[in-house]
Amino acid sequence: MSLRDITRKDFTAARRSRALWAVATLLALLTALIAFGFSGYRLGPEETVIQLFRTMGGMFGLLLPIVALVASYMAIAGERESGGVKFLLGLPNSRRDVFLGKLASRLGVVTAGLVFMFATATVMAVARNGALPVGVVGGMFAVSLLYTSVFVAIAVALSATVAERSRAIAAAVGSYFVLVLLYVIPGVNVALLVRFVHQTLLGFEPNFDLYNAVLFTSPLIAYRKAMNMVVPSDLEQEVLQRPAESYTPPGYLGDEMSLLVFAAWLAVPLAIGYWRFEGADL
Amino acid sequence: MVAIRTDGLTKRFGDVVAVDDLDLTIEEGEVFGFLGPNGAGKSTTINLLLDFIRPTAGSVEVLGRDAQTNPEEIRERVGVLPEGYGFDDPLTGREYLSWAIRTKRADDDDDELLDLVGLGDDGDRLAGDYSKGMQQRLAFAIALVDDPDLLILDEPSTGLDPNGIQQLREVVRERADQGTTVFFSSHILSEVEAVSDRVGVMNEGELVAVDSIEGLRESAGGHATLRLDCASTPAGLGVDALDGVAASRVDERTLVVDCTDPAAKVDVVTHVAERATVEDIRSETVSLEALFNDLTGGGRDDARPVEEVRQ
Repeated sequence: MSLRDITRKDFTAARRSRALWAVATLLALLTALIAFGFSGYRLGPEETVIQLFRTMGGMFGLLLPIVALVASYMAIAGERESGGVKFLLGLPNSRRDVFLGKLASRLGVVTAGLVFMFATATVMAVARNGALPVGVVGGMFAVSLLYTSVFVAIAVALSATVAERSRAIAAAVGSYFVLVLLYVIPGVNVALLVRFVHQTLLGFEPNFDLYNAVLFTSPLIAYRKAMNMVVPSDLEQEVLQRPAESYTPPGYLGDEMSLLVFAAWLAVPLAIGYWRFEGADL
Repeated sequence: MVAIRTDGLTKRFGDVVAVDDLDLTIEEGEVFGFLGPNGAGKSTTINLLLDFIRPTAGSVEVLGRDAQTNPEEIRERVGVLPEGYGFDDPLTGREYLSWAIRTKRADDDDDELLDLVGLGDDGDRLAGDYSKGMQQRLAFAIALVDDPDLLILDEPSTGLDPNGIQQLREVVRERADQGTTVFFSSHILSEVEAVSDRVGVMNEGELVAVDSIEGLRESAGGHATLRLDCASTPAGLGVDALDGVAASRVDERTLVVDCTDPAAKVDVVTHVAERATVEDIRSETVSLEALFNDLTGGGRDDARPVEEVRQ
């Protein structure tokens, strides 16, 4: 039960952080501004709001990982650097309590932030258009929260394996680059890289099922696929590569697969991070 | 009952052996002073006791439980004042203390504890804004929560003013009188001397001596030198025949007597006073400082005497 005390203490501290409030306010203003300025072309009010959240989803794909990483990268590394961990573990807490308590509180922080962002966007959109497509907004919130949680898990796990701020920053930036940017930069992205290795270096016939499967391992791609599950079918986007009109991805690359990708990205980093923290000299 | 037992405890950091094959037993109810220069391995030992770090070899038992398999159970019954801590969260001193009380499922009154360590008026300020000495007081208050069976204090007087050190000493003595085992480290000899039942001296990862203060004095030779200034040349007084006197010599009108037993000093003075007119008496005991320097080779990272290392 001391887990709850750790979570409570960490959450109280986060709530008092001026920087965190500043960031949350900025993000809420941003979503409000987008919601205010957005206008669909020849769309009814409901369609406009749906289209708005769909568009915001595109931005969230790049933005939410940053929010999660910034909110969590110092979760445990900070305690190790400052020596706070000596109080945490001088009291009757186990390392598991510390790890899970920190994870819980940082999840709480980003959930609050996301609620804040969705609330301002929703209020603004409803005020402008007079329609509230609850299913789509709720669905978008759910997949966005899942996506953000993945990066909180990754950041807390990384944070548990390092003892200094500089390394925690490097790990957070590195993970953003490898898991997000490397999938969207034109010219040097993972899809091209895999294809290059497979086709040019190894001399195989093109296999787009394989390239797409590799692409799908990214949380960002999984997020885009997951959004297809909550928006109306005419707004679904083709996230994977399509070499020809006739190509249809196999069933195991369907939108639902994104949930499994999320689950893997939640479980594996946490397991490794906990294992490393459990064995570390603090 | 044994409060702390280490058996062949060894910790290496890369090539550096921080603690080398340490066998240490501390009985329940003892006040044990853990003495040594900076870098001697005191904090490493304490971190091993608390499972902050893992031993390379050997075992640690605290209050009858293995430190690695049962750290939580140990932490239930131990109060810790760690070294190198930080109050990083924007919480007040009282909130930190309340958190410790909640975590220990204790029923302490936070005001009472704050008063005890002299933070009565500062409980509602952010702990991060405290001075070093105030943070040390708060850390000490946290260690006292739930009246632990064992207090582990790592350099407890760091940053405290003389008044604070005095208060700390009083509380430690009080708790020890009530049966609490106290294990504390220090590089300041006088501090250890003042409160410890027994002392362990660490140097370069090894335990070089474990004894009571008196025992240490004796093992250092226990020499005391007495200088008696007399009205006339004090020759032929037969001081050498007294028990506990090693040698004597006359230097003009001063009689210099080396005693192997400090208790012999009184006899010497009485003996001489009966036979000559004594104008002044000066006594020098082999200082523990000298002994400490002897045991530790003046410290690991510098050759300054301990006196100068004091803060």
